[in-house]
Amino acid sequence: MEVYRKQGGYAAVEKALKTMTPDEVLEEVKKSGLRGRGGAGFPTGLKWSFLAKPEGVPRYLVCNADESEPGTFKDRDLMVRNPHSLIEGMIVSSFALGANTSYIYVRGELFYVIRILEKAISEAREKGFLGKNILGSGYDLELYVQPGGGAYICGEETALIESLEGKRGNPRIKPPFPAVSGVWGCPTVVNNVETIAATSWIVQHGGDEYAKIGIGRSTGTKLISACGNINKPGIYEIELGLPVEEFIYSDEYCGGIAGGKRLKAVVAGGSSVPVLPANLILKTMAGESRLMSYESLAEGGFVSGTMLGSGGFIVMDEDACIVRNTWNFTRFYHHESCGQCSPCREGTGWMEKVLHRIEYGHGKMSDIDLLVDVAAKIEGNTICPLGDAAAWPVGSAIRHFRDEFEWHVREPRLSQERNYGLAGYADPLPVQAAEA
Amino acid sequence: MATLFIDNAPYQVKEGKNLLEACLSLGFDLPYFCWHPAMGSVGACRQCAVKSFRDEEDTRGKLVMSCMEPVRDQARISIQDAEAVGFRAGIIEWLMTNHPHDCAVCDEGGSCHLQDMTVMTGHNYRRFRFNKRTYRNQDLGPFLNHEMNRCIHCYRCIRFYKDYAGGKDLDAMGAHNHVYFGRSEDGVLENEFSGNLAEVCPTGVFTDKSLKQHYTRKWDMTHAPSLCQGCAMGCNIIASERYGELRQISSRFNGEVNGYFICDRGRFGYEFVNSEDRIREIGVKGKPEIKDRDSLLRTAAARIREGSVLGIGSPRASLESNFALRKLVGEDNFYHGVADTEFDLVNLTLRILKEGTVRTPTLPEIESADAILILGEDLINTAPRMVLALRQAVRRGPGEALSARMNVPLWQDAAIRQAIQQDKAPLFSITPYPVRQDELATKSLYESPDDISRIGFAIAHAIDPDVTEIKRLSDEERMWTAHMAAVLLRAERPLIISGYGAGSEAVIKSAADVAWALKKSGKDVRLSLTVPECNSMGLAMMGGHRLESALDAVAHGHADTVIILENDLYRRAEKTLVDEFLQKSRHVILLDQVYHQTAEEADVIIPAGTFAEADGTLISGEGRAQRFYQVFVPDGPVQESWRWLQQLAEACGNRTLSHLRILDDFVLEIAKTCPQFEGIEHIAPPSDFRIGAQKIARQPHRYSGRTAKEAHIQVSERKPPSDEDSPLSFTMEGYHGIPPSAVVPFFWAPGWNSIQSINKYQIEVGGPLHDGDPGRRLIEPGDAHTPVFFAEQAAPFPIRPDCLYLIPQYAIFGTEEFSVHSPGIASRSPAAAITVARADADSWGLRDGDLLEFQFNGQEYKLAIQTNQQYPRGMGTLPIGLKGVPFMDLPGWIRLKPVERS
Repeated sequence: MEVYRKQGGYAAVEKALKTMTPDEVLEEVKKSGLRGRGGAGFPTGLKWSFLAKPEGVPRYLVCNADESEPGTFKDRDLMVRNPHSLIEGMIVSSFALGANTSYIYVRGELFYVIRILEKAISEAREKGFLGKNILGSGYDLELYVQPGGGAYICGEETALIESLEGKRGNPRIKPPFPAVSGVWGCPTVVNNVETIAATSWIVQHGGDEYAKIGIGRSTGTKLISACGNINKPGIYEIELGLPVEEFIYSDEYCGGIAGGKRLKAVVAGGSSVPVLPANLILKTMAGESRLMSYESLAEGGFVSGTMLGSGGFIVMDEDACIVRNTWNFTRFYHHESCGQCSPCREGTGWMEKVLHRIEYGHGKMSDIDLLVDVAAKIEGNTICPLGDAAAWPVGSAIRHFRDEFEWHVREPRLSQERNYGLAGYADPLPVQAAEA
Repeated sequence: MATLFIDNAPYQVKEGKNLLEACLSLGFDLPYFCWHPAMGSVGACRQCAVKSFRDEEDTRGKLVMSCMEPVRDQARISIQDAEAVGFRAGIIEWLMTNHPHDCAVCDEGGSCHLQDMTVMTGHNYRRFRFNKRTYRNQDLGPFLNHEMNRCIHCYRCIRFYKDYAGGKDLDAMGAHNHVYFGRSEDGVLENEFSGNLAEVCPTGVFTDKSLKQHYTRKWDMTHAPSLCQGCAMGCNIIASERYGELRQISSRFNGEVNGYFICDRGRFGYEFVNSEDRIREIGVKGKPEIKDRDSLLRTAAARIREGSVLGIGSPRASLESNFALRKLVGEDNFYHGVADTEFDLVNLTLRILKEGTVRTPTLPEIESADAILILGEDLINTAPRMVLALRQAVRRGPGEALSARMNVPLWQDAAIRQAIQQDKAPLFSITPYPVRQDELATKSLYESPDDISRIGFAIAHAIDPDVTEIKRLSDEERMWTAHMAAVLLRAERPLIISGYGAGSEAVIKSAADVAWALKKSGKDVRLSLTVPECNSMGLAMMGGHRLESALDAVAHGHADTVIILENDLYRRAEKTLVDEFLQKSRHVILLDQVYHQTAEEADVIIPAGTFAEADGTLISGEGRAQRFYQVFVPDGPVQESWRWLQQLAEACGNRTLSHLRILDDFVLEIAKTCPQFEGIEHIAPPSDFRIGAQKIARQPHRYSGRTAKEAHIQVSERKPPSDEDSPLSFTMEGYHGIPPSAVVPFFWAPGWNSIQSINKYQIEVGGPLHDGDPGRRLIEPGDAHTPVFFAEQAAPFPIRPDCLYLIPQYAIFGTEEFSVHSPGIASRSPAAAITVARADADSWGLRDGDLLEFQFNGQEYKLAIQTNQQYPRGMGTLPIGLKGVPFMDLPGWIRLKPVERS
């Protein structure tokens, strides 16, 4: 607390509560162009402005700290190392939304994080940043930490709300959106940890300042949790618009591929986004250099593009097996499917079984088309995005690495002994360019 | 109305419904699972996908779930679109990956929604090459069988059980494709409506356990439209038979009475029909040789002619049977076979309904009430189906408000439920003891019957000052009466419920006063008064004398021959009185269905047909006349009581009934001679009704084994019985389309083998049946006039030392005479014990399980006690009608024997 205060912490709270109206805070956030850091990248200011404000009905802000996507581990560190930045953001955001009760829904496994947050909250309360009549502004806010039960699906905002209410974490059908009927049936905003933490900076320095950082409509900075076969795995705060190539190979960031091997594929935004082969992650189809931004990564749609997602950057080198990796992701999604709607409940299980069979050398050629068919039927036809998240890795892996799947089927013995390797689809040119 | 384009053809449909309802109402076959017309949409199964197009130009379209999309004017959708067809087949393929191939040994087979939908989507080849997942099943008690391997996870079970019926012990557990629907451990499903799961479940996870013990496919049973005899709600049922045995009861949709659902007493209480205790033979004391109809009639007629005769009617016998008895013995000698207190309560009820200003509600009217006051009724035990309706009513007000605020249609069940949270429309329940409906109530009070009526009158006074003001109310009572009156006055459609449950005329009168006062102030109010048995209302309408006078008549020698119609007098009057009555009567002739104590004493026993072996008319508590039809012709001399009585009259030389031969004759005669029953001749088509010169077939067109099933007795096929009483035939020959709503023997439509085929019988899905919902209301309030209020000053309930005011308590499982012959129902029956306030028990030095000795009406009794902290002091309850509980004409004061303290 002391350190955080020394570095200018809680100045945003003072500024917002003492000198601004909630609408002014909202206006700054709108101006900043801040987009949701949880994965979907929806403009935060716009989301806030959708919040219904019926007479006499309380409103709620919920911070989604249920980070559990494979490959994403940024919020955890943010909360461990700088819990007050989140709490400050919560106060400012709750003020903007007119919420007098707010929740931080933390993934149940992160027990030590919950303790840290609770300690930080009690510190903030002691200093008068929480509770009744904060800083004499007449604004009240109670902040609660709610541990989740450890289900990935509870990171989906409506499932999170169900879980927060003490029910089974099944996602709700939208509409109505949480902005109309969320926690306890009241209007609710659910935001990611990183998003909320960013709001205090925006309030303090102004939305226009924030918008200057980044590129185009991807403003600000983003935490990227890099992992996989790289020399320096870890969490990096980057300015949006950084070239992907620089991010992978610069010593300031990932520091290149471990063991001097060659890049095969990258999952750029957490396990649920489409996987891209080396050539397509470094350069778009049009031959332009791909940047770390919402727009650039999505260029080419799902045919040749992917998504920034939650910033879980998974790098695979030439020895990685795409089939195994896809099976592993699918196993995760099957396990985490809530079991509410049919496509995801039955489809993920089936895909997992088929992928397991291909990986262990018992697959048929028709299985590959079966996977494509099942994934295509899941995509876009489920209640919540988990279905899409389960279908995209499978669809994209087969789209870009079909040879490797076919090789597993054709060479059942060989595929048990060695990996398929880099083969044809990773364009060697950008790799050489990087080495040079 | 909106114009909806389905595959480019325009249709006129109602706005506000969802696309699935619209398509089904138009007659399209669109598969679905999670949606249910009574429970709305949740969009979970994704089976009902259709293609939706933005406009005429849009050729790509987008898959949408039709159950989640409201009908919009000029909307364009496609059911036939290749992607939609492929997706729907894909969903079935997914559901089938884990569904076992056990249709041949599954109870649901042949009436399975999943089978129908699978065939409908065209999925038939299997691409899934793995083992199927398996589960451990649970023992869910006597009513339902559990087979989780068959589950397709549509969530309908918990949506019905938890959300719709308020059950607490069934839930979804686990995740992904291993979700488990069950209890946290083996055990009886507690909810009183659990049996509906067998119909709600689209496949064979929850199936009827009572059917399992004598299992027969739907297509192999003979079905008939029938009425539940379990209470006075008049729920419509389908009764199904094979091999002379009643095998299943299922719900028969009637939008005005029971909708899609019935209670477990109704569904599982049928086994007495097949019971060993049935009276199937003619029995004449001392003359065992008399076994055939003719000699019985001769013997009985001789005895009737010999002496002066009186007849005792029954609230569980049909209108026709009671009428026949009344004709046979003469109006002056016709007595009601009900306890005297009950006689007074039901007659009062009838008077209030007939002469008052307020109508009784239909089921949809109960469900749309926006403020409810219950005075003295333990509804789950006296009118079970009403509780299910009230559960919907309390959600409706908040639901409608939120629906408007959020712009989410009311049928979007999950969203509305989530938004409502714990909010509910006002429901006030004032009862003598804690009851089930308390969980629906915004306020529950526990008071003695005297005090309930005082509060009722006080509320009426607060609404209308013309009602006498009640003095000496406590401050709390005064506060609540003012609040309740204000809430009722604010409501648009208030509903007042009371009835026989508290055993108090004053309570019923106070309910009437509240309702009349509300009516006077211009409210569209409804008054529901429960009555005990399936034809209590009909018997009261018919008129007759009290049972007490019958006992007197015999005691004083005015009569010596007694004809008892379908009645066990030991359940109607105290044992010593009945003993004396039966001993003093020279001849006791009993027509009944099941052996009981009265049958032991009777000189002549005549086997009467149960509801499955007889036709007849019943009047429900609502005042609705409805007809039930014979399902099968029993072996032996069993026949309808009215037919026996007609034949007896003939044999006696009594010509009053000789022109009445078939059911229609009786119905017409009743309508003609008793103006209060005018209209009953129109509630169902007459026996000569034909569709294309055909009767309506009781057996489905796939009925099998008719030439073989009796081949071990006689190789040539027996001549099938003919049915002269109804437009139904006993065989599969006849009309198989959609008959008039009153004579629907079973629900079936091409491609729709399961109970879901009800859709095809309705004008619009979820709406009334083609031809209107069956039954006709006979009691409507008189013209608007100023009511004469009942209220008069009464003292608060006095607590008397060494005395206890004992009131009857009813049990959904246990009280009803016949349903306890089902072992499952009997096993759920409560303990035979008196319940009293804990403080009272403490003051007597008694604890749970101790015996309480007391005197009532000069008799001594000894019963175990239970204590309850929430009971009012000075009052106790006795579960009436239970095995091991002697009859007492309650309520009344009992005198406690001094407890010997050690």
